[in-house]
Amino acid sequence: MSEKLYNIISKIFSVPISEINDESSPETIESWDSFNGLILVDELEGNFNIKFSVSEIIDVKNVKDIKKHLSNHGVDLNG
Amino acid sequence: MERKLSEYISLSQTIDITKSSKKIKVGILSSFTINGLGETLTVKCSESDIECKSYVAGYNQYNQEILDPKSKLYSFAPDITFLIIDIRTLLNKIFHHPYSISSLERKKIVKEKISELRNLILQFKKNCSSKLIISNFSLPSYSPSGLIETKSEFGFHDMISEINQELSRIAKDEPSVYVYNFNQFISKFGEKNIFDYRQFFIGDIKIAFDYIPYLANDLMGYVKPMLGLNKKCIVLDLDNTLWGGIVGEDEFDGIELGQSSNGKAFVEFQKHLLSLWQQGIILAINSKNNFEDAIKVIREHPDMVLKEEHFASLQINWNDKAQNLKVISEELNIGLGSIVYFDDDPVNQERIKQEIPEVLTVKLPEDPSQYTDILMSLNDFNVLQKTDEDLKRGKMYSQQRQRTELEQSTKSIDDFLKQLNIKVTIKKADKFTIPRISQLTLKTNQFNLTTKRYQEEDILKFSSDNNMIVGCAQIEDKFGDNGITNAFIIEKNDKEWKIDTFLLSCRIIGRGIEDAIISYILKEAKNQGIKKIRADFIPTKKNSPAEAFLPNCGFKKENEHWVYDLNNTIKSPNHLLLEVE
Repeated sequence: MSEKLYNIISKIFSVPISEINDESSPETIESWDSFNGLILVDELEGNFNIKFSVSEIIDVKNVKDIKKHLSNHGVDLNG
Repeated sequence: MERKLSEYISLSQTIDITKSSKKIKVGILSSFTINGLGETLTVKCSESDIECKSYVAGYNQYNQEILDPKSKLYSFAPDITFLIIDIRTLLNKIFHHPYSISSLERKKIVKEKISELRNLILQFKKNCSSKLIISNFSLPSYSPSGLIETKSEFGFHDMISEINQELSRIAKDEPSVYVYNFNQFISKFGEKNIFDYRQFFIGDIKIAFDYIPYLANDLMGYVKPMLGLNKKCIVLDLDNTLWGGIVGEDEFDGIELGQSSNGKAFVEFQKHLLSLWQQGIILAINSKNNFEDAIKVIREHPDMVLKEEHFASLQINWNDKAQNLKVISEELNIGLGSIVYFDDDPVNQERIKQEIPEVLTVKLPEDPSQYTDILMSLNDFNVLQKTDEDLKRGKMYSQQRQRTELEQSTKSIDDFLKQLNIKVTIKKADKFTIPRISQLTLKTNQFNLTTKRYQEEDILKFSSDNNMIVGCAQIEDKFGDNGITNAFIIEKNDKEWKIDTFLLSCRIIGRGIEDAIISYILKEAKNQGIKKIRADFIPTKKNSPAEAFLPNCGFKKENEHWVYDLNNTIKSPNHLLLEVE
């Protein structure tokens, strides 16, 4: 589940997949700063072939929010 | 294909840069968020065997960093500094409202902006010895005045063009300052791709992430020649590289060159190679073929752009290609690290990559329509200064091949030297020759008695000193002009002269030219009533070709120095003509 998403997050923030969960956020992942956050957006858009709006990008507080916005764009993370 | 910025960032955390043999310190100043550029440069440098340390100034801190002599930038002491200011920041509110003011006011603002930029450049130069690469400004595709923008009196776009032109003018007068054509970078990749409004609004990012690696690639174009890593020679395969098909099988009339769509791709590729040759890049051939088959195409095919005269070496045989490349490197006396190799065959590419990793083996796709683009994207042929000699280099090397062919067909060396009709022209140091004299002292390693390195400013100072002689010699022969390939610097005292520098470019060694020039110097001294000339030989790892020169000319060892007693007769070779300008 959510394997592709977790792989991307793990790569961008250099953290093991096992440490990522819905509550992961800039508070729990040290390298999740505003710049790396934007790099993550860029990677997600490229990988899932979507475009987020500015509101969606600034709304993200944790991994759960990312999942929410991905599914709003029709990305099926369980597929 | 360029990698993504995120890849560079993660790579930069894992590579070990301390293994690299060259080092550079890079300063980055910009008027917007440019995170990731430093990391990308570090990775790209490490791939070229360079340890890169970078200092990225805080967001929009470029003014303070340049104007404060105690700034962090200056204490970092960069070797090269990139200053990237974007047009929005420079023009401020005028960027959006250029027509809220009169054309006279627009002119006034442009003058102010130019003087701000000039001041930044001059302050930087005063505080720091680093090279400065300042980017120019991109012309937005949009104008509020729409299609009549081009009819406007000193309009919005004219303002930016004027600033760019002035910036280039300033840099032309400052040898350590270069303008990076950022406007061209935007045209190449497209304003709509590079400027992402979302990244701009969220993070004041004005170059989208995907394009930072391409920008870094352009900037590497400055770093490589600073460290002497620029390439000097392109070695080419023939079949399916310079023409389509295999001449040994398809025969002269069967190869694709010129008329067909693929044929046009090869012609285009050859035209670009020729334009590099005209800029001093040496061309050579390394091909498995029957010599007669291949040379017939080169000599007689109507659509061949490159002719025999453009190639400094023709290795057309059935030998191993790696071996041939080594032969070319020895024959032309250039390092394997200065060679770029083009061969369509992936097996050959792999073989050269493994056998001679110093050579830059280009990954060529099967489709020849891509060759030109690949050639043009290489950032390895840049130099930071260019003399007349550099421009002629390609030609001089192919003339050298003809000389060698004559030498091999002539029985004795004396006959060969006589047939060359060598003419030596001694020239004074002046504004035309000083850059070349400096360049020769900086680059000549082999035939160089003292290997003293002098910048242009040093040579200028020596040449205006009455107690010194600074000169050089241009060498011509029946095959062409070798350009200025000798330089000498002499310190004059009342009774004795001292040779500070005497050097010869390696491509003209062994033709009696050095003997003719030294005998000219000896005679000059004698005519001025001097009794003795003193010279030194300072051995280095590379200058053994000059070791026997002084004793062979009749200099005698006295203590640590070599001395020529001018009461002795002065011999000079008679197979060449010497003129003094």
